[in-house]
Amino acid sequence: MKPAPFEYHAPHSVADATRLLAELGEGAKVLAGGQSLVPMLALRLALFEHLVDIGRIDELKGIERREGALWIGAGTTEAAVERSPEVASDVPLLARATPLVGHFQIRSRGTLGGSIAHADPAAEYPAVALALDATMEVASSRGRRRIAAGEFFDGLWTTTMEPDELLVGVSFPVRSARSGFGIEEFARRHGDFAIAGACVAVEVDADARIERCAIGLIGLGSTPERATAAEAELTGRPVGEVDAEEVGRLAMAGLSSVPSDLHGSAEYRRRVGAAMTARAWTSAASEARHG
Amino acid sequence: MGEVPVKLTVNGRPTEAEVEPRMTLADFLRETCRLTGTHLGCEHGVCGACTVLVDGAAVRACLVFAVQVEGAEITTIEGIASPDGELSPVQSAFRECHGLQCGFCTPGFIVSVTAFLRDHPSPTDDEIREALAGNLCRCTGYQGIFDAVRRAADAAGRERS
Amino acid sequence: MTADPTATEARYSGRRVRRVEDARLLTGHGTFVDDVSLPGMLHACFVRSPLARAAILEIDASAALALPGVHHVFTAADLNPGVHEQWHTSLGPKMPETPRPPLAEGEVRFVGDPVALVVARSRYLAEDAAERVEVDYEPLAAVVDYGEAEHAEALVHPSHGSNVIGGFATMPASALDEVFGAAAHVASATIHQQAVTHVPIEARGLVVDYSQATGELTIYASTQTPHEVRLFCSRLLAIPEHHIRVVTRDTGGGFGQKVMVQRDEMCLMLAGPKVGAPLKWVEDRRENLIAGGKSRQEHADVKLAFDADGAIQAAYIDFVQDCGAYPTPWPVGTAASVGMLFPGPYRVPRAGFTVKTLYTNTVGRAPYRGPWQFESLAREVLLDIAARQMGMDPVELRRRNLLRRDELPYANQNGMTYDNVTPLETFEQALEMLDYPAFRAEQAEARRAGRYLGVGLGNYVEPSTPGQGYYGTEAATIRIEPSGRVNVYVAGGSSGNSIETTVVQLAADALGVKIEDVHTIQGDTAVTGFGAGTAGSRSASMTAGAVRETAKVLRERLLAVAAHVLKAPVDDVELAESRARVRGEPDRGITLKELADIAYFKTRKLPPEVPAGLEASARYTAEVQTIWVNATHLCTCEVDMATGQVKLLRYIVSEDCGPMINPSVVEGQIAGGTVQGIGGVLYEHLAYDEDGNPLTTTFMDYLLPTATEVPRIEYGHIETPSPGPGGYKGVGEGGAIGAPPAVVNAVADALSPFGVTITRLPLSPARIVELIEGR
Repeated sequence: MKPAPFEYHAPHSVADATRLLAELGEGAKVLAGGQSLVPMLALRLALFEHLVDIGRIDELKGIERREGALWIGAGTTEAAVERSPEVASDVPLLARATPLVGHFQIRSRGTLGGSIAHADPAAEYPAVALALDATMEVASSRGRRRIAAGEFFDGLWTTTMEPDELLVGVSFPVRSARSGFGIEEFARRHGDFAIAGACVAVEVDADARIERCAIGLIGLGSTPERATAAEAELTGRPVGEVDAEEVGRLAMAGLSSVPSDLHGSAEYRRRVGAAMTARAWTSAASEARHG
Repeated sequence: MGEVPVKLTVNGRPTEAEVEPRMTLADFLRETCRLTGTHLGCEHGVCGACTVLVDGAAVRACLVFAVQVEGAEITTIEGIASPDGELSPVQSAFRECHGLQCGFCTPGFIVSVTAFLRDHPSPTDDEIREALAGNLCRCTGYQGIFDAVRRAADAAGRERS
Repeated sequence: MTADPTATEARYSGRRVRRVEDARLLTGHGTFVDDVSLPGMLHACFVRSPLARAAILEIDASAALALPGVHHVFTAADLNPGVHEQWHTSLGPKMPETPRPPLAEGEVRFVGDPVALVVARSRYLAEDAAERVEVDYEPLAAVVDYGEAEHAEALVHPSHGSNVIGGFATMPASALDEVFGAAAHVASATIHQQAVTHVPIEARGLVVDYSQATGELTIYASTQTPHEVRLFCSRLLAIPEHHIRVVTRDTGGGFGQKVMVQRDEMCLMLAGPKVGAPLKWVEDRRENLIAGGKSRQEHADVKLAFDADGAIQAAYIDFVQDCGAYPTPWPVGTAASVGMLFPGPYRVPRAGFTVKTLYTNTVGRAPYRGPWQFESLAREVLLDIAARQMGMDPVELRRRNLLRRDELPYANQNGMTYDNVTPLETFEQALEMLDYPAFRAEQAEARRAGRYLGVGLGNYVEPSTPGQGYYGTEAATIRIEPSGRVNVYVAGGSSGNSIETTVVQLAADALGVKIEDVHTIQGDTAVTGFGAGTAGSRSASMTAGAVRETAKVLRERLLAVAAHVLKAPVDDVELAESRARVRGEPDRGITLKELADIAYFKTRKLPPEVPAGLEASARYTAEVQTIWVNATHLCTCEVDMATGQVKLLRYIVSEDCGPMINPSVVEGQIAGGTVQGIGGVLYEHLAYDEDGNPLTTTFMDYLLPTATEVPRIEYGHIETPSPGPGGYKGVGEGGAIGAPPAVVNAVADALSPFGVTITRLPLSPARIVELIEGR
């Protein structure tokens, strides 16, 4: 299964990369870690005349505090995210999601930006970015702009980035005090894409009431989803009185495009999604209460 | 596209060639470098038979184009044993524990496990199983493979103490 | 007393000797077919049908041929007329085989059917060219569901006149109406097993190197049967057998998919001589999943009659099997063995069966590890169903019906006679290893806490080592070289079964030689005597016989020469540690090296009747038609009620494969088969949509178990000798026979509080949730 021929470009700066994307147009594709793209090329499910390898752009790598958030360069490998003490302390949900991403060999090459830009609804990082209201920083030959996670995922494997835009980094809010996080997913085998899953972030006030919460759903739509109705329902309630199963049920209500395929019907995915949400909620709530 | 020059180090040896950009690192190693120990089991990044080390990190060589790793240090299965042929502790453990049958998946396992134990010298049993989940074997049922990793980890642990 | 030339002191047999294959395989120095590189070699790639059934109207290869580096695009018109004869030796030329055009001719019959063969300078170029071959198809109505095949209007093979390939019956079900009617209890079910495929991690492939000048053909093949590849090819191309050499150094798994030459390989044999260069084809994974061959797609109506105490009175199976468009080989015989083995290791006074095989427009059936194993799945699942219906413990039901030693040999009612098996013993040992009562207590407690654990088992008897016809002999050549080292040549066909190590262990023992002084050469038809290869769990017994027969000749010679040189009675001389010595006088001896020196270079020192040299060849003929093996698989599981996921907790195999040549090899074979069986129940499904499009064409969708899905396997060994050499029995296939029923029964037991009956595979988590919800 050999890929079709392509022209290869390896820019060393964001400016060069965006210039190339503008020049080459629709026949060009960004090559980051390649863990999602290369299988598609090998299977000849996707064909591109030009690959723009962003692996040599130093500006895209790094994990650091910027403007009070934790900025992670789009070209940072998942392995680097996994090892990062900053991610572990500042964005624990991302740290906990990372070991669920494929296998360690995938994480050696796969990038945070690649995963988010690929926008697979069954992947972990898009749901985490959505749940945490991360901000995506994109660049093009026209300049830079920021897109809030809530406005980033547009459809199956589709984002609101323009065809010639490049994701350069993602800023994650740093965790606050009295917050808790959990991520649970169900996959057929360890490391597979989730059939359904949920990531949860909860923050409580001094009286253990839910000040805010976020539930990001994995594998339950054509994009990652926020269970906003459930979140609204839960906000303000004493965290100790919330039944995890109820959270699961609430989160599944209102989902309109749950996938159905060889691995399970939509109904099955809702059932699993409810259970995963309940389990993730339990972890997050416990951590928020007890630290 | 015509061929592009690529320069990297393979098992300590500097290597230069001209390759099509679409040539995978796996094919580069097998055909250009004549190192056929890295095997192709699926060519879409699931089976792990093609695992090599790129700058020390375990990577699926079928998902990397040779041109992407310009300047890198690649270690293949052929570079795991010592230059005089002595098997590495991981290789020895596989032999002791009947961790291979047909041997086709074995290079990928050996390289993956070598990287894993280097980075996680004291794994629990569950951590070992999870680390092995990125490589597929059809012959052994993973029994001897698990035993080999457990043994290699324990032996290294005794050596350190 | 004459020294018994067959007596050997087992020094290596029975021990976990480290494998001789490992030195090259651990270091990346194996030689698999894709590692073979010859000067000027060209690469092949197939153009395959995207439709399940269609007429081929036109093939336009002009765009493909216009690409630089593309040498040929062959179609049926180019290759198919080259076929002289094509049949598999084990079946013979008169078997009513499926028509098997190398390339699809006039009509494509399954998605993946090879339509054209592109030859180019590299596989990359060949794939580029294959995309540019334009095939004009006229879609035709396809037969996809084998349940509808018999009465479908469309015919998969019009020349056959029917979609029924063939069938066999000992008696109609109605012949047992009386005994079923009178029974205290009848349990019946229709049990379905889904299609799966072998998935050797090395896909199929071969290199065909034809020399125009000499008319000689060399084939490097990924195969389990190098000699059969040679024979088949010789007949196919009408090239004399002695002008063909097949070389197989390492094969990366086969499990039956590489036992018989299939159409793809035929195309390469036909094309090779036409391209003026060595020609390589290595299948990629997508091809392997689409066109490599399927197995297990079948169902049966099964019923068991019991008396009031749960003693089986009768058994009947009405079995139907989907064989795809191009089964290899003709499948009726294997289907019949499903019926013949259905009574299993139980006392079944009356029994009968019907089997039927069908064509469909899907990939053809290829034999897969324990090809008849459906009989054990169906019987063991039905026994558990029956037990629950009768309010009996499934263990107790089996205990009452399992055959005892004093009942052997036992002729089952469907034509099989078993002997030298220990089904009751392996059953009891497995239960003891688990501590069955303790598990039931644990299960009860877990249920009170809302957790669902289950235990399941499967007993089976297996016919190994077929002892007739094509499979009935095996040869070895042993050369003790002038320096005293030993080379053992056997046909081979190892694809992971450790035959090299087995041969070295056996030969070392047979000749009293240190194991490091023994080497083996296998899998090269120029050098090794004909052997049927690795299939039918035959290698241990047959190879042991071959080594024994051959070593016997050399032992006699060595003892005679040593006795002569040492001036001792031949009965007092023994061979050990690469040396001949006088028993009781360890200093009075002569090394094998010295004996060889005499035999080759100082022949005047030989005793009068002893010929020069130390080489011998002999062929062993199997003494019995079947060597029976048995085992019990027992596993426990927990089912996650929310997701339907099954976690296997303990997995126990108590097996009797007779004395073990190498316990590590035995356990490794059991483990591999067991995990394939687990995969077949919980993860694997070679699925098609209703138009015959394959849905599981990559490893993203065709799921193999990984290390995290597989429990630790515990082994209990019982060693009941067979009548064969060394008492050895075959063990290669058993895991795949015993595992599926054990897993299914464990899940069904876990879900029994919900009144769940499981009769259909696979058991995906989604399917288990449906069962829990009563759907």
